[in-house]
Amino acid sequence: MNRALKTVVGVVLTAVMLFPVYWMFNVSLTGTSDMRRDPPYLFPLHPTFTGYQAVLRDQMPYLGTSLAIGLGTVVLTLLVAAPAGYSLAKLRPLGGQPLTFILLIAQMIPGIIMAMGFYAIFLSAGIINTWWGLVIADSTLAVPFAVLIFTAFMSGIPDELISAAKIDGAGSWRTFLHIVLPISRNPIVTVSLFAFLWAWSDFIFASTLNSGGTMQPITLGIYKYIGNNNQEWNSIMATAVVASIPAAFLLVVAQRYVAAGVTAGAVKD
Amino acid sequence: MLNSRRRPLGLALAGLALAGTVAGCSNAKGSSDGGSSSGDQQFTFWDPYPQFDGSSDWVKLVSSCGKDAGATIKRTGYDTSDLANKALLAGQQGSSPDIIVIDNPVISTLADAGVLTSADELKLDTSAFAENITAAGVVDGKTYGVPIGANTLALYYNADLLKKAGVDPASVTSWETLNAALAKVKAARGKGITFSGIGTEEGSFQFLPWFWGSGADLKDLASADGVSAVNLWADWLKKGYAPNSVINNTQTTAWQEFATGKFGFVENGTWQMGNAAKLGFKYGVISIPGKDGGAAPAPTGGEFVSAPVQKDAGRYATTTKIIDCLTNPGNLLKTDTTLSYIAPIADVQQQQVTEDPKLAPWVKAVGDAKGRTSDNLGTNYPIISEQMWGAFQNAMSGSASAESAMKTAQEAAASKVK
Amino acid sequence: MSIRTADRTSRVDTRVSTREERPPRYRRLLGWAYLVPVLVYLIAFYAYPLYRNVELSLRDYTVRSFVSGDARFIGLDNFREVFSSPTFASAIIHTAIFTFVSIAFQYVIGLALAVFYNQNFRLSGTLRALFLVPWLLPLIVSASTWSWLLNSESGVVNAALEAFGLPQINWLTSPTWSLIAVIIANIWIGIPFNLVILHSGLQNIPDELFEASALDGADAWRTFRHVTFPLLKPVSAITLLLGFVYTLKVFDIIWIMTRGGPGASSTTLSTWSYQLGFGSLLPHFGPGAAVGNILIIVALVFGLLYIRYENAQAKR
Repeated sequence: MNRALKTVVGVVLTAVMLFPVYWMFNVSLTGTSDMRRDPPYLFPLHPTFTGYQAVLRDQMPYLGTSLAIGLGTVVLTLLVAAPAGYSLAKLRPLGGQPLTFILLIAQMIPGIIMAMGFYAIFLSAGIINTWWGLVIADSTLAVPFAVLIFTAFMSGIPDELISAAKIDGAGSWRTFLHIVLPISRNPIVTVSLFAFLWAWSDFIFASTLNSGGTMQPITLGIYKYIGNNNQEWNSIMATAVVASIPAAFLLVVAQRYVAAGVTAGAVKD
Repeated sequence: MLNSRRRPLGLALAGLALAGTVAGCSNAKGSSDGGSSSGDQQFTFWDPYPQFDGSSDWVKLVSSCGKDAGATIKRTGYDTSDLANKALLAGQQGSSPDIIVIDNPVISTLADAGVLTSADELKLDTSAFAENITAAGVVDGKTYGVPIGANTLALYYNADLLKKAGVDPASVTSWETLNAALAKVKAARGKGITFSGIGTEEGSFQFLPWFWGSGADLKDLASADGVSAVNLWADWLKKGYAPNSVINNTQTTAWQEFATGKFGFVENGTWQMGNAAKLGFKYGVISIPGKDGGAAPAPTGGEFVSAPVQKDAGRYATTTKIIDCLTNPGNLLKTDTTLSYIAPIADVQQQQVTEDPKLAPWVKAVGDAKGRTSDNLGTNYPIISEQMWGAFQNAMSGSASAESAMKTAQEAAASKVK
Repeated sequence: MSIRTADRTSRVDTRVSTREERPPRYRRLLGWAYLVPVLVYLIAFYAYPLYRNVELSLRDYTVRSFVSGDARFIGLDNFREVFSSPTFASAIIHTAIFTFVSIAFQYVIGLALAVFYNQNFRLSGTLRALFLVPWLLPLIVSASTWSWLLNSESGVVNAALEAFGLPQINWLTSPTWSLIAVIIANIWIGIPFNLVILHSGLQNIPDELFEASALDGADAWRTFRHVTFPLLKPVSAITLLLGFVYTLKVFDIIWIMTRGGPGASSTTLSTWSYQLGFGSLLPHFGPGAAVGNILIIVALVFGLLYIRYENAQAKR
């Protein structure tokens, strides 16, 4: 297949995958009387912009908070998980394998159970209804996964590189900072992506732990349009569309680091 | 090598700082609110209206009632389906709000949990309120809150479509006449009726007028009357009078289907009145017919204002003042107009009808309505309701006959109720 | 042969090995210093909720005892109630079908896409990044959008079927199709996860190996079978395991699309746990927590199987 054809196929595949996202956009512009039209319009032929007006009027602070929480979660996750991955992969303390297993199981606890447990902890620690408390809660979504990913990738770093550093007189921390981390660009970006995405779309923690806060993420902001008897779907979908734009932009920018990491991550023997 | 590692991290930290500033500066109006004046006590207030923020009439009313009572109100709006659990969780942790506005069938659950104070303890006078509406909050003879407003269900109809089909809305007074009307609408290439038959409390809410209208009682789901109600719905689907989507419809979705103009009838509530004005066709409202004629009793929706138990009983005096302020006849008119509710006090109802004659059929419907947790069903109601919605879901989707579905439901309910 | 040597050096070892060369004791203790943050995490944020969950399942919690905290200890009664419930068998079967079918499709599609987008053609990077957009959406939005698409009357999927003369399907309201509908939505949501991790794994395979394979005269399929796939085995293993764990937990999608219904036709252990605990106006925490614990045990079993697989791999 020549390259141009590949691009076409690529575009088609992406379009198929994103069709529901397009539909979300379609609904955001649909008026109430057309929402349940049988058959539905493929394009918003009679668009209404009330949804977007509502979003631009109400949701901007929520977007900022979501962004702060997302980035905060990334930073916290990396800080906690990267050294742990290094330790499990290279320093191999006794009892490391059971720990890996426990991390696997830790991810099995249903979100609602975690949220209920956190409520008690956060209430007594006084960090309930704060956005940065939510950062701590959201990072629990990503940390076990991150440790597993870091362990996996760092195990593949040849021991010779580490021994070389030791011969040069570097302690474990310096080895970590100057040898291991720079090579680990791939897992760092992968972990960051997932940590951000999970924090961005989290609802259960936000709802349980920050419902009363002054700075709330977008997943709670959306509930402005979900009244107790009435839901305004075009506003809800418009919120989702507007919320996705900056994050999609971040995604496209971030993927460059993964692509560029081909030689940086390669292991030479 | 150092640079390539630092750059993403540096970028992230910079982004974080920027986002934090943006979020902080554009100070979230959010859905929580609090004006402050020094020296006032702070009282927490929870309600299920996240769609109202600080600039809304509702929040302004709450704040002013607080100020009159000498308190600063910190108000938070929650998603209604979540509020009960949050109330329980808060009760467990000893951090209950001072005042909670919550959906009426949940009151008995919270009362049972020991989370609420009774009206007697609060020295709250509930005599002015209509009895059929207050009944939902009565558990073992004690009242645990006052209604803030009521809504209920009726049938909206598409006047233009019915005219085309040769149906006179006034003729729909029983199940038989309703079915005849639906047949005529279908013959005229329209779609008959839509409603919400989803497997949640919303579905039960919509099913109850038909269930009660057949003469059945919630204590015996498997009675012949109860089965006939399920058959009514299941037959509508079989005959094509109702679309298959009703099995998953919420009340909003059902309304959206009606708004396309293709349906003759929709079963929906008072809260749609604002949206009804925006319809592209002429509409009207009739009571839901009982099986053999007359208006069927519909369930009451709407919230109660209640006071959770506090460690410091001294707060109750102010709490009572705030609740009185919110529910006194003068303020009720304003509150219920904002929330699109019917007032729970007869005099105020009259005022509402005077101001807006379109409310007349709704006031009548609320007068005929019944609380779901009334008849001292209390916390047995959710158990029965869950089995009931499972039954009509199975019957409508064809996995069971109406009879066997209701029989299974009744057995399961009977084994679990107290 | 070149492929063999490459296999050993660039294999990603997810197992923490205890081979011949044991690091000195000091080193091992130092290792624990790096793990302190994670340990704090585990104890504060996982151990405590897990303990609460186990406790919830062993006591008779009514709403009153939940609030006052003095529930009666009833041992395994909640579990007995769960096992003897008519929904139990359906929930298990549906969970098994839901999980295995979802993962199979997610993995295969994710792998195919990862291999495809790994080639360097115009826009490959951007297009691959766009695949992650579904993950930006709150689940309530994605699940609602799928509900919209699959609506019996006004959904675009049924409209398309009608346009092609095919019969309309009641995706969300028929007991036969409800499970299939939620599986489709779940596959859609799971593809980006598989795509990203497998792609990362592919990036770690040095270009020289592909060049060597091409020099040896292998076509795309043979290269995939003998070079790419074997080298991806460790990454595939962890992707599948994590995918399994996450799919077992899936709740929002099913709940928003069908509520586990109609009847119990799309109820899985996860949705059942929520339904028992929070699904009606009267929370039933005990049985809900019991089902949650059953889920955790199932995951534990598969986790153990994974560890055994890893150990077997390392011994080779």
